[in-house]
Amino acid sequence: MTRFLTSFLQRWQCTAFALASGAAACATGRGAAPVVGGAALLAAGAVLDGARRRRETRARTDAAGFVAGADALGRDVMPVWSAHIETSRAQMETAVAALTSRFAGIVDRLDQTLRATGQGGDHGLAAVFDHSNGELRGVLDSLKAAMASNATLHTEVQDLGRFVAELQQMAGEVASIAHQTNLLAINAAIEAAHAGAEGRGFAVLAQEVRKLSALSGETGQRMADKVAHIASAMAAARATAEDSARREAAQAEASEGAIHGVLERFRGVTEAMESSTAALQRESAGIQGEIVEALVQLQFQDRVSQRMNHVRHNIERLPALLAESREAFDASGALRPVDAAALLHELEGSYAMADERATHAGDAAKASAAAAVADLEEVTFF
Amino acid sequence: MAKTIMIVDDSTSLRQVVGIALRSAGYDVLEGSDGADALKKLTGQKVHLIISDVNMPNMDGITLVKELKKLPAYKFTPIVMLTTESADGKKAEGQAAGAKAWMLKPFNPPQLLAVVQKLVLP
Repeated sequence: MTRFLTSFLQRWQCTAFALASGAAACATGRGAAPVVGGAALLAAGAVLDGARRRRETRARTDAAGFVAGADALGRDVMPVWSAHIETSRAQMETAVAALTSRFAGIVDRLDQTLRATGQGGDHGLAAVFDHSNGELRGVLDSLKAAMASNATLHTEVQDLGRFVAELQQMAGEVASIAHQTNLLAINAAIEAAHAGAEGRGFAVLAQEVRKLSALSGETGQRMADKVAHIASAMAAARATAEDSARREAAQAEASEGAIHGVLERFRGVTEAMESSTAALQRESAGIQGEIVEALVQLQFQDRVSQRMNHVRHNIERLPALLAESREAFDASGALRPVDAAALLHELEGSYAMADERATHAGDAAKASAAAAVADLEEVTFF
Repeated sequence: MAKTIMIVDDSTSLRQVVGIALRSAGYDVLEGSDGADALKKLTGQKVHLIISDVNMPNMDGITLVKELKKLPAYKFTPIVMLTTESADGKKAEGQAAGAKAWMLKPFNPPQLLAVVQKLVLP
């Protein structure tokens, strides 16, 4: 625009100079014809001068409109652009923060689940099974101990039976002694009768011995009767005890079988539960790992936010620069363009990330590589 | 007793991601949204390591390191800069201020934990 105006003004100055020279020649010449010619030239000059002023005015008006338009662009449009960028950035940050928070909650809950299901020792299913197994085997051992105790008692009762037999024999011996004594007393009485009056005292003694013998025989018989009764009672008790022992043995055997059956089924259930718990743990750990990986990838928000901030701040610099351009035009009519190189330099100076610099340099591949998750080698220790 | 690590970053989501990684490894975590907020929250309590961003509002990470080095309670606390800033000049500033390591975002948790385990105070 400036170049066009300068060229136009130079051409118009040349024309005006030629017209002025013609008028001067006419004024110094003679006759009417030259005078008429000079007047025509002056009139033509006046017309051309008016057209020039109109063009100048229009050009200035256009330039003022252009500068004002650029100023309005900076003042009215760019803040809206900037606001949109900031709103988008803020919305993305809020959404990603909320998403991250939810994921963090899921990771925590999975962690608690893994800790709860992973507890072995006193609380695991295997431990419960082992504990129950031990308890039930203790019950079986108690049953077996009771049976052993009964067997001992049975043996002792059998031993008592042997004593009863001895007692029966002893009672028989007492009866035999009484019988022999009675025979001796009879013989003594017979001999006393043969002796006559001298044997009377001896006959009395033989009589008393016979009484004692009869008493001993009765006592021996009672003893034999009692022992027979005891023997009968003990035989009945032994038969009952043997029957009871057989039943107890059968019950203990049935109990042991039932306990083994329960334990086997319990083992099957606990093993199945342990297996499914292990599978759940593996799956939970896998899901937790996937979520953590997703969280790592959500770090893109931080990078995008920074990049949007840098662009926004650069856009926000433009309204002031365009206003300065307008003020300069208003003051002196000079058209001063915005220094794009300086603005670009400011933008470049605000970069923090290698991928921003690569994008600025137009290297898309390098920018993509720089934005990837860094390797351990990217850590610098001081 | 669990060791305490402070993470300073103006990005909420970034603080959360770092927090998850550290808590899963058994550390207690304190959070600060920028340098000034971190100084306000560090009220003399024992912190075994500080992880800080560089570019933050109110007080940037380099200034935070300088301020911490002035405080007797945190003078020897190791500080890791976790940042998107890759310029060598900034790294040199961090080193001069007293940071122990410079780590680029985005990070992966095992990598961060390896750095933490290497530097955390006993």
